[in-house]
Amino acid sequence: MTGKREKTTKVKHVRTFQRFQVGQRWEHLMLFLSAAVLMLTGLPQKYRDFSWSQDLLSSPERLEFIRQIHHIAAIILALEAIYHIGRAIYLMARRKLPGDMLPVWQDVVDAGHMIQYLLFIRKDKPKFGRYNFEQKVTYWFIFFGFLLMGISGFIIWFPEFFTQFLPGGAVPAAKLAHSTESIIATIFILIWHFYHVHIERLNLSIFTGRLSEDEMREFHAKEYERLNRITTKNAQPGEKP
Amino acid sequence: MAKRKLHRQIFGLIMAVALVLVLGLVVVSPAHAERPAQETEKYCLSCHGKEDLSMTLPSGEKISLYVSQDVISHSVHSPLGIECEACHTDISTYPHPELPYQTARELSRGYYQTCEKCHYANYEKTLDSMHANSAEAGNLDAPICTDCHGAHDVRPPAEPRALISQTCNQCHSEVVDAYRQSIHGKALIEQDNPDVPVCTDCHSVHNIQDPRTVQFRVQSPELCAGCHANQALMSKYGLSADVYSIYKTSWHGVDVSVYKARWPTIWHDSAVCTDCHGIHDIHTTSDPASKVNPGNLLKTCQQCHPGAGPNWTDAWTGHNKISLERTPWLFYADAFYSSFTPFVLWVCIIYVVLQIVRSIVERVRSSLP
Repeated sequence: MTGKREKTTKVKHVRTFQRFQVGQRWEHLMLFLSAAVLMLTGLPQKYRDFSWSQDLLSSPERLEFIRQIHHIAAIILALEAIYHIGRAIYLMARRKLPGDMLPVWQDVVDAGHMIQYLLFIRKDKPKFGRYNFEQKVTYWFIFFGFLLMGISGFIIWFPEFFTQFLPGGAVPAAKLAHSTESIIATIFILIWHFYHVHIERLNLSIFTGRLSEDEMREFHAKEYERLNRITTKNAQPGEKP
Repeated sequence: MAKRKLHRQIFGLIMAVALVLVLGLVVVSPAHAERPAQETEKYCLSCHGKEDLSMTLPSGEKISLYVSQDVISHSVHSPLGIECEACHTDISTYPHPELPYQTARELSRGYYQTCEKCHYANYEKTLDSMHANSAEAGNLDAPICTDCHGAHDVRPPAEPRALISQTCNQCHSEVVDAYRQSIHGKALIEQDNPDVPVCTDCHSVHNIQDPRTVQFRVQSPELCAGCHANQALMSKYGLSADVYSIYKTSWHGVDVSVYKARWPTIWHDSAVCTDCHGIHDIHTTSDPASKVNPGNLLKTCQQCHPGAGPNWTDAWTGHNKISLERTPWLFYADAFYSSFTPFVLWVCIIYVVLQIVRSIVERVRSSLP
């Protein structure tokens, strides 16, 4: 490897920064796959009075099959959510939970700044930390949205069990919430999330785990500066940061 | 010359005859419509008007051959000039030809087929009916025209309307008993209500189908909707006409509509109207005998949802529109989402569109010299 590097001197060295750990990347993959399956199997169930849905769910057996896939995906997503929340609690107990994803006042300021930029009132983009307010909105929207989807979904899956202790009115309300929230979540992911990670720039860090130096500088300037300060501080004398 | 005169005379004669004929038609025909001459009827009744006239069939059954003049002249046929030989087509003289029938029932089944001559459409319909199927399967007691309409005493079948339930009661007494106790039956019998359904309104008249089939079940909600979705009719009785449209959006209703549209021959268990309200024994909701009375509702739900507890019945919105009083949970969920959904949609769209515009402007700017 070293020999090769010496020969091809024109290779551009891209310094990358770790953004997501392996566990987080696996979590996103599970979330992405199970949510996609849930949406694809859920939509024809929601729109059962439309002929395209009836073409898909072409027999009672097919309907039952699609429901079972939906339920299995729901269990996988629920396990993933339990793992995610459990890990957060574990880290919190050890005082090791990174607070980067928590919403802070600076996010409101950044959002105001961003809107001014988008409306051509300001010329500079806000400088973001490790997670910008758009990413925090994505995280928390999906966090609460999927929590609600999960709760309402299990209520309409096991209505007889849940009405043992919940009032009956919760069942039709859960049905409405499950059905409507699914559309909101789909719209949100398709418009908001896909724009930010595919169109604005192709950001595959959730799969690769790393961001390039350029991307760090442009989109997470504050985090980049902070990391640089740490590396400079920790750097041994004579070593290039 | 003489020949021409003769011609003129013949022409005049023909005209005169034609005039008489036309006048005769105009003058005589109304008199005919009033009371046609009953030549054969009179002739037949000269024997069959005797009360003790009877015969013994090969089976040993003794049947009366007496036909009352009073009954026959009050039937629908006799006053219209439809006489004995219209139905008894095989008998035109005395002595009568030998009867080919062994039993009284065979005789009835033989003669009723002449109804087809005039009542072709209705006769055809009966051939598709549950009753005809039953006869085909060997049940000779399955009803034929004359069992419901009578033979010599054919009368308008629905005067009064309550007569229909009496007709069906001859065989279906258990069902008719339940019906008479129901909200529909009581209104019919006690008030001669013209709006409530009689047997034939739901089961149809001549082509009565087996109501236990998948096809009947899957279409039954529409049957009820025929009246219960009729705003004008329901407001007469202070009932909601939205019950059907709200049912159609419910879990049960959507399921049933899909089965109806796509799998009408596959049995489904999603509740139709009669599963909860009863079939012939439908009572008003406030009646303690009603299956959907609050006191009985849980038991009714448990027919299909055996694990349902006491809170369960509140999950049922009762064919009511979303309201704060009846369904507060649903009301708040609906209120939240009816503003939250467009909010999220518009925030996403506006924000992303602004970003796209800004980034395009930025790119164009940076590419300018």
